[in-house]
Amino acid sequence: MINIRDVSKFYGSKVGALQDISLDIQAGEFVSIVGQSGSGKTTLVKLLIGEEKTDTGKLVVGEWDITNLSWSHVPYLRRQIGVIFQDFKLLPKKTLTENVAFALQVCGQKPARIKKIVPSVLKIVGLEDKKDRYPGEVSGGEQQRAVIARSLVHQPKILLADEPTGNLDSINANEIIDLLLKINNFGTTVVLVTHNREIVNRLKKRVITMDNGYIIGDQAHGKYIIR
Amino acid sequence: MFTVLYRIIKLSLQDISRNIWLSIVTVTILILALFSVNSLFTVQVISQNAIEAVKSKVDINLYLKNNTNEEDILKLKSQLEKMPEVKKINYISQQEALSSFRQKNETNPEIVQALRELGKNPLSPSLVILPVNTESTDLLINNLRAYQSDIIESRDFNDNTVILEKINNITNSINQVGLIVIAIFILVSILVVYNSIRVAIYTHRREINIMRLVGASTNFIYMPFIVSALIYSLISMAVIIAIFYPLLTLLQPYLEVFFMGYNVDIVSYFTNNFWSIFGLELLIVVIINVFASLIAVKRYAKV
Repeated sequence: MINIRDVSKFYGSKVGALQDISLDIQAGEFVSIVGQSGSGKTTLVKLLIGEEKTDTGKLVVGEWDITNLSWSHVPYLRRQIGVIFQDFKLLPKKTLTENVAFALQVCGQKPARIKKIVPSVLKIVGLEDKKDRYPGEVSGGEQQRAVIARSLVHQPKILLADEPTGNLDSINANEIIDLLLKINNFGTTVVLVTHNREIVNRLKKRVITMDNGYIIGDQAHGKYIIR
Repeated sequence: MFTVLYRIIKLSLQDISRNIWLSIVTVTILILALFSVNSLFTVQVISQNAIEAVKSKVDINLYLKNNTNEEDILKLKSQLEKMPEVKKINYISQQEALSSFRQKNETNPEIVQALRELGKNPLSPSLVILPVNTESTDLLINNLRAYQSDIIESRDFNDNTVILEKINNITNSINQVGLIVIAIFILVSILVVYNSIRVAIYTHRREINIMRLVGASTNFIYMPFIVSALIYSLISMAVIIAIFYPLLTLLQPYLEVFFMGYNVDIVSYFTNNFWSIFGLELLIVVIINVFASLIAVKRYAKV
């Protein structure tokens, strides 16, 4: 599903955010990418969603070589990859339903399709009862659920979660991880970027450890190892 | 297609309403720019009318010697008629000139008495020359000045060149100052529209960020801001039309008094040339505004 070959990314001439990394993630996998701040995790996410371009190497998502993806094609890539960030990125003046619908509206979907999809994704994340509430009226965990619902509207093959539990307490964090596992069970490839040791260790899924732009560990049922 | 268009217009109206005061300032600057352009254009139209009025008053007469026989006069007439600037020449004989003079002054007993006491016809035969058009008047006058003939006693061109020159000078001065004012307004308009779109992008940064994240196309992100620039153009154009027509209507009676006897109708002029004046202005304003907003979105709403 994701093939990364000898990819490097430099900021300025000397600082290597990613250094010659190679990685394969199969369809339907649940992979945690862990590492300290500045290890290159977020840079990798940025490369995968087309926000940054590689300096060297090759990057393939699905069967799509996105190494030299033109800016005009980036939106089409992002419709195939759901993205969740630590800050929820919800519009405060829109209800949760409207926030989820917004993702479809700006991509030109017809109202009938929006009416069909939005309730179904809100049901998946367990927000059907709070669909008419504004982000300020629900908990952080529920806001992150709404973001997950929004990321699912395009039925992505890959879900990238960059520190999705960073702003949540442990109960809400565990609920979000359970939700990601549920989505993974539907067949969606989930890439979880985190430095939350407890969560990674609880998952007992594949763990890729990064440090200083290098991949220093790749364990099939790994744990978060602090160097 | 219509759904997308509807959403773009909705987002654009949201841009405008969220920054309503900035939008009002933007439209006001555009109105001032358009007002200066149209004022200058009105001055241009009025000065053209003034020039035409003065030129149409041009009276070109060649007075001939009293003892000239008619054969020579007709010969001169036919020679002058060959000039391309001449449309028509009327020959006024000595007797016709006297009759006309008497008729014009029949109510003035002193002149009638003076003529009677003189006992002979004091008036000269003349050729009244009509130019082909007002543009060729100057050339015709110059040619007639240079024309040599023994039978010509005097030449009366009722020379309006000084007046025409003055009108031209005033018009040119107004045009020069006006063009500078217009250039300043255009520059200010570009900067204001650019800044308005920049602020609109800033207030919409969260939406733009989310739009980028969920895969909205570049055009969909850019278009609301372009549409906002288009709406600014349309509103300012509509306001200027609404302001300008009443002003022209107020100006019209003064023009009628000033150009008494001439058909100067500024309101009709603007009405008859509505699309070529306001249509062209709208096109230019739209191009300028869309250009300014395109620069702003390319710079601040990168996808």
